[in-house]
Amino acid sequence: MDWQALVLSVELAAVTLLVLLLPSLLVARWMARTAWRHKAWLEAAILMPLVLPPTVLGYYLLVSLGGNSWIGQWLQAQWDLSLTFNFLGLVVASVVFNLPFMVQPMLRAYEAIPRQLLEAGLVNGLRTIEIFWRIELPLIWPGVLSALVITFVHTLGEFGVVLMVGGNIPGETKTIAIAIYDRVQAFDLAGAHLMSLTLVVVSMVAVAASLLASRRLSHAQRAGVHT
Amino acid sequence: MTLELAIDQGQPMRLAGSLRCEPGQLVALVGPSGAGKTSLLRAVAGLMRPQNTRIRVGDSLWCDSTAGVFVPPQSRRVGLVFQDYALMPHMSALHNVALPLRGPQRLAQAQSMLERVGLTREQMQRRPAGLSGGQQQRVALARALVREPQALLLDEPFSAVDQMTRQQLYGLLAELREHIAVPMLLVTHDLHEARLLADELVVMAEGVVFQQGRADTIHRTPRNARVADIVGLANRFDGVWEGPDASSMAGTGWLRWGSGPHGLRLPVRDKGRIDVGQRVSWVVPGEGLHLCSLDAISAESQTRPPKNGLQLNVCLSELRHLGEVWLLHLRCETGPPVVFRLMLTGPQVLPLQTGQSLRLCLDLDMVHIMPVRTGAGTALPGQAEPAHLALSG
Repeated sequence: MDWQALVLSVELAAVTLLVLLLPSLLVARWMARTAWRHKAWLEAAILMPLVLPPTVLGYYLLVSLGGNSWIGQWLQAQWDLSLTFNFLGLVVASVVFNLPFMVQPMLRAYEAIPRQLLEAGLVNGLRTIEIFWRIELPLIWPGVLSALVITFVHTLGEFGVVLMVGGNIPGETKTIAIAIYDRVQAFDLAGAHLMSLTLVVVSMVAVAASLLASRRLSHAQRAGVHT
Repeated sequence: MTLELAIDQGQPMRLAGSLRCEPGQLVALVGPSGAGKTSLLRAVAGLMRPQNTRIRVGDSLWCDSTAGVFVPPQSRRVGLVFQDYALMPHMSALHNVALPLRGPQRLAQAQSMLERVGLTREQMQRRPAGLSGGQQQRVALARALVREPQALLLDEPFSAVDQMTRQQLYGLLAELREHIAVPMLLVTHDLHEARLLADELVVMAEGVVFQQGRADTIHRTPRNARVADIVGLANRFDGVWEGPDASSMAGTGWLRWGSGPHGLRLPVRDKGRIDVGQRVSWVVPGEGLHLCSLDAISAESQTRPPKNGLQLNVCLSELRHLGEVWLLHLRCETGPPVVFRLMLTGPQVLPLQTGQSLRLCLDLDMVHIMPVRTGAGTALPGQAEPAHLALSG
């Protein structure tokens, strides 16, 4: 078992969640309410990582953030920063390829809130922040939970984009998915199996736990039990 | 703390007219679906920002488009009962009612209000999904009132509950009204409910306020044909106003009804508002129609013939049994070939048979004349409910 790769994957997933949580909430909230006529294009752009091959996404990230790109050159000149073949680059790539996994469940949850509930909040004198905390968040919570879990699990298992943007640097960009590939290349099938099984179990437990929690929340609301 | 509203919006949807609601008064907005009733209510609540609008409650100016004033809904202090209640599904009934309140006493205040609307302590702890429709309605009403609003707005609050619960809620509203000294607006498409609960009606159609007044006044003297249709005056006919002449009695004028050999001249009240020669619509409410022949059938039922009455020979062209009432279509034989619609209750109807000749007495004092405006939308006469004529058995 490559513990260093596992820890790196968990760190990458945790940082991705931290970075994505608030912006995704805001984007989902805005998209659920706006009547902007180009909304479909924005939603399509957010969904792109879901439908594109990871290598295509990784390629464009590499080209647009690499040292030869104007973004890469500007970051290098201004902040002495590089976004390829290091952990920071992995975080940026991870944020991009996880956008649909974070935004979509939250957007669907926001869209499911009846408009009258938000209007009831307004006519009952609640400020915007109170409406968010007391009405929106409790109602979208199952969606947020499922977004967090799916994003976390998806980051642990992402391979193509990570390899394209980060390469295979132990302790820096070698995540558990890369480590599994590494083990197979070295004909260490037992090691690859152990790590693969670990990913399967962690993913299974996380997704099942989130589904159970969501169902419990929905059931409590349907049953009218105040918990 | 009178509520006054004046609106003249063209886009995105037409909303025009004015209304006034005194403190403690309940005004019902009635009209067909899409009439703009709920939109008007939402404008008062601040949930939409209409153009060319002025809304004032007492000294508070909530909206004045010309002065750029728009008080947001959070600051208006309105109690709004939504059509589907809009209770928070994740909160108990108690916390739903405490939603607009602040301070340490909020739960105690909410509990007291829920007790007033008849919820038990155990029911207060339940979430909306654990309450019946009637109980949810009571919670919604309690939440609207607990904030001591400056105006109470009710958006078809009784449409989703069964008849028995509805009757109980009518009683609750009547009881609560004794202690509410704010203007109340009720949106309903149920005319019976509006007449039962409201002090005044506001009749709307196609986004336009046509008439405001007491229910019986509107029923007797609708402003135009559209209002007559909306309030269920089925017996509406066309004519020409000929005005008073030497042969007419003081205060009356001639209404020409129909033309040719079947045409009649009716002496009806002249209010001096209609030009001579103008095309008019005229209506007669159910109370203005007497089926004279029934007196012979039932000696106990003595319908007094009106002083200014016109007797018409009619033929019973259709007789339908609708539960406890009978719907009669009476084809006029001595006047223009029109059909009068009547609803009767009581055993007198039993001997009647389709095709039978009867005599119908039209009380000309109850005839109301309205000018016909070209281009004004009018419904087909057959779409409205028939007039109701109850005969005691």
